[in-house]
Amino acid sequence: MIPEIGHFSLALALALAIVQSVLPILGASRGNVVWMQSAQSSAMGQVVFVGLAFAALMRSFVVSDFTVLNVVENSHSLKPMLFKIAGTWGSHEGSLLLWVLILAVFGAGVALFGSNIPAATKARVLSVQAWISVGFLSFLLFTSNPFERVFPPPANGNDLNPLLQDVGLAMHPPLLYFGYVGFSIVFSFAVAALLEGRVDAAWARWVRPWTLAAWMSLTAGIALGSWWAYYELGWGGWWFWDPVENVSFMPWLMGTALLHSAIVTEKRDAFKSWTILLAILTFSLSLLGTFIVRSGLLTSVHAFAVDPERGLYILGLLGLSIGGSLALYAWRAPEMEGGGLFRPVSREAGLLLNNLILAAATGTVLFGTLYPLLLEALTGDKISVGPPFFNAAFVPMMLVLVLFMGIGPFLSWKRADIGGVLQRVRFVALLCLAATLMLWYVQTGAPVLAYVAVAAALWLLFATLREWALRIKLFDAPLSESARRARALPRASHGMTLAHAGLAVVILGMVGSSAWKSEEIAFVRPGDRIEIAGFEVLFEGVEKRRGPNYLADQGRLKVWRNGSYVTTLFPERRSYPVARSTTTESAIRSTLAGDLYASITEPASDTAAKGGAWTLRILYEPLVNLLWIGAGLLVLGGALSLSDRRLRVGAPRRARRPQPQPAE
Amino acid sequence: MIWGIFAIMAIAGLTIALFPMRRAGMAPVLRADAVPAVLVDQLEEIDRDMARGLVSAPEAEAARQEIRRRMAQVLRRADRQTVTTTGGRGALILAAVFVPVMAFGYYSFAGAPDVPAVAFADRADERADTRRIADLAGQLRERLRADPDGGPTDGWMLLGQTYARMGQFDEAVTAFRTASGRDDAVSATWSMLAEAMIRANDGTVTPDAVTALNRALTLDLSNPAAAFYLAIADAQAGEVGAAHDRLTARLAETPGYQPWMDTYIAQANAFAQTLGRAPIASRAPVARSPSAADVAAAQEMSEGDRAVFIRSMVDRLATRLEDEPDDVNGWLRLANAYGVLQEMDKARDAYLRADALLPEGDARKAEVRASIARLENP
Repeated sequence: MIPEIGHFSLALALALAIVQSVLPILGASRGNVVWMQSAQSSAMGQVVFVGLAFAALMRSFVVSDFTVLNVVENSHSLKPMLFKIAGTWGSHEGSLLLWVLILAVFGAGVALFGSNIPAATKARVLSVQAWISVGFLSFLLFTSNPFERVFPPPANGNDLNPLLQDVGLAMHPPLLYFGYVGFSIVFSFAVAALLEGRVDAAWARWVRPWTLAAWMSLTAGIALGSWWAYYELGWGGWWFWDPVENVSFMPWLMGTALLHSAIVTEKRDAFKSWTILLAILTFSLSLLGTFIVRSGLLTSVHAFAVDPERGLYILGLLGLSIGGSLALYAWRAPEMEGGGLFRPVSREAGLLLNNLILAAATGTVLFGTLYPLLLEALTGDKISVGPPFFNAAFVPMMLVLVLFMGIGPFLSWKRADIGGVLQRVRFVALLCLAATLMLWYVQTGAPVLAYVAVAAALWLLFATLREWALRIKLFDAPLSESARRARALPRASHGMTLAHAGLAVVILGMVGSSAWKSEEIAFVRPGDRIEIAGFEVLFEGVEKRRGPNYLADQGRLKVWRNGSYVTTLFPERRSYPVARSTTTESAIRSTLAGDLYASITEPASDTAAKGGAWTLRILYEPLVNLLWIGAGLLVLGGALSLSDRRLRVGAPRRARRPQPQPAE
Repeated sequence: MIWGIFAIMAIAGLTIALFPMRRAGMAPVLRADAVPAVLVDQLEEIDRDMARGLVSAPEAEAARQEIRRRMAQVLRRADRQTVTTTGGRGALILAAVFVPVMAFGYYSFAGAPDVPAVAFADRADERADTRRIADLAGQLRERLRADPDGGPTDGWMLLGQTYARMGQFDEAVTAFRTASGRDDAVSATWSMLAEAMIRANDGTVTPDAVTALNRALTLDLSNPAAAFYLAIADAQAGEVGAAHDRLTARLAETPGYQPWMDTYIAQANAFAQTLGRAPIASRAPVARSPSAADVAAAQEMSEGDRAVFIRSMVDRLATRLEDEPDDVNGWLRLANAYGVLQEMDKARDAYLRADALLPEGDARKAEVRASIARLENP
């Protein structure tokens, strides 16, 4: 019965979404308050019903109800509870249900917390949000029903992909989707503004919290995904320029540009149509990502043809929303009045440069991701565009970005004094040059680009800290005065400092772990020793171990450094009999200085399993943890910004207005 | 019960859609209030920045000017639109009624209200049954193995079929292989062996399976299962055209309708689509014997249900044969089915009917006679 309640609940949610997509927007254009108000209750209703459906599906997973086809295909009674729960969003249908749930959550968020937004604007925003909901709910119900039933139920389920049975990955899609789909509300704000014909400082401020929330989740989601790839795939890499990664990275790049361009719209009433365009493009890229991942296009253009119904449906949705919004943009954007003027050297110009580089970088990633697909569709040739392309095209752009990012915050609005700014950062430049030279002296042998990247990261870090120090007059005034000033600064300002510093830390982690990585791959027998990055590793052998739904070969590695015992590592190779697949569980000894990373892949020969040779892979990745720490700083910076009191300003004046009268 | 819950949910949906009625008459937030609120805050922010020493006095003044200008603009352009706070109830009620109507409308064709939810933990009995069958199969296997004569061929066949039904194809292969090594191995023994091998390999027709299939065809050229899997083997080797030809040729050999033809035609049409050839129409009579879907359904059933299902299938077949007594294959299948149901007399009668119909020289005649002999002298 419970799956059916979930199914019915989805139908009710679709019906409410249809009402919400029509009535409020009509109310906004006719000045009918009752119709406008209906947006709020139906947005809340949607979140209740989609939430109920999601809970119903989750319950089916938790109790292993194999009368639900989705549970059969993605779960197993022996699976650990956490992964049964995560199985809810592990499949195509479940992840789309999560998608729709988050869509509803953001709609309800605006309904609930947007009390400072004019009723007509809010009604339009929620109607546009409901258009997206209608599209995806009908997609869910008509092509990807998560509540498809089987009766009588099969004896047990087919298990979830063992690679996905991991805590990092279990939490990764919800965060990623929160970011992806969170940009939907920003899109809705943009389309509503185009319909209304008004974009101003207030609009930019109303959108800001939602942009920030989506951006933070996306940042966390991408970081978590990269962390998962790092320790689960067994290669020690944290980014592969894989299409699945790229499609989440593109909205992030665009969203970052949007976040910055919206500041100009808020402060200076400028970049209006640009900000709107970025809002549309950011969500369009999220949709594109969903399309590419969900249509099977990635596996092969031909895999798409196997199940064309779903692919075509999303393609239609994609065309309608992207094409429609861009057409609307082309029609209405020229009417938008330009805002404040600025000089070539100014905060505005700096942010413009940021936007241009980020947009170009997004274009590069988009090209590298879609080109193989287009080529395969047109000529049938299969090529892959990998790290060499992205490293050559993307990294230099980022270096330029980082260079200007250091200066940007020093610039004042409208017209900046470049001489003064350069004077302030002179010391920073010298400091980072000295630090880089010192590194070169100590750690020669890395490619030149690595030193350049380290210099860029240090430059960003020092310049950001310097700017912050100037603001609070650190060292120029007594410490107590600085502390008072730090407290007085708006949280958004601290947020920026933290996020920019976070990026510098991320870059240090990236460079350290790739340019200074040491790697050994060897066939080892019990008793063999390997030297790596100053560590001595002794392979003691492999033991069989039994997990809840897998069997494992567990390696045992004793590690010494300079003759003193450090740790023992237990890398595993797990085989899941039900799903008939194997995974590597790397063993990592993590410190701030770097990770010692070990994985065993397979016996080197048939006799190996009986105490013979195994393929052992050992890596030392310096500073790799700075990646996740830096990502954490980025998210924290976003959170600080989000908590800024200014984002709550303009809240209800209703208290001062006449009290509501009874309806009748 | 379930419809009661749906009704409550639908009423909740209706109420949510009607809720704005309660808020009629409330003053909405207008642009003329909301936008200046933000701008006023920006003005105050400039004062705060001054206090922090972040902006100079002239910069601050210029910024203030700009914001004041924007504020004047907003107030000048503020909503002139008149706002009604009460009208439009008709449309709201209509929209609210739409919510449950659409939900029930959709659900009535897409829902499955009669399918119960069954938690894994509540299916202990079913698992006990499965275990019991597994135990019985295990006992049978041990008995056959312990038999100094190697155990009767029929026993091994039963064991193989049981394991195949339980999804343990490796065990099924072992059992069928033993049976196929006997002198009394028939065509079906080899094709069942091949099928078990194929299913054990996730649908890949292995070279061993092809050998077994060819053996099955040597024993009985008309064995439809053998021809079918050989066609699959052709397709897996990339020769879809040959696969299609094989299926259509076999179909052309047998006039009228046989239950195996449904699977044949479906597979042939799948090949035809890849090849761009014309599809074949189904030969199934309207009131037909069990379709592939029925068979699939039977495989999903519990043991008790399956027995009932097989019984009804057999009864249907028997009734049909009363009307069409010349159907040799029908009698053979009926005989086989009675054999499975352990109704030996009826099985023998059916074999006798088939024997009478089979012309001298037919490859199956010997097999049928052997079966009759076995049934008469168990």
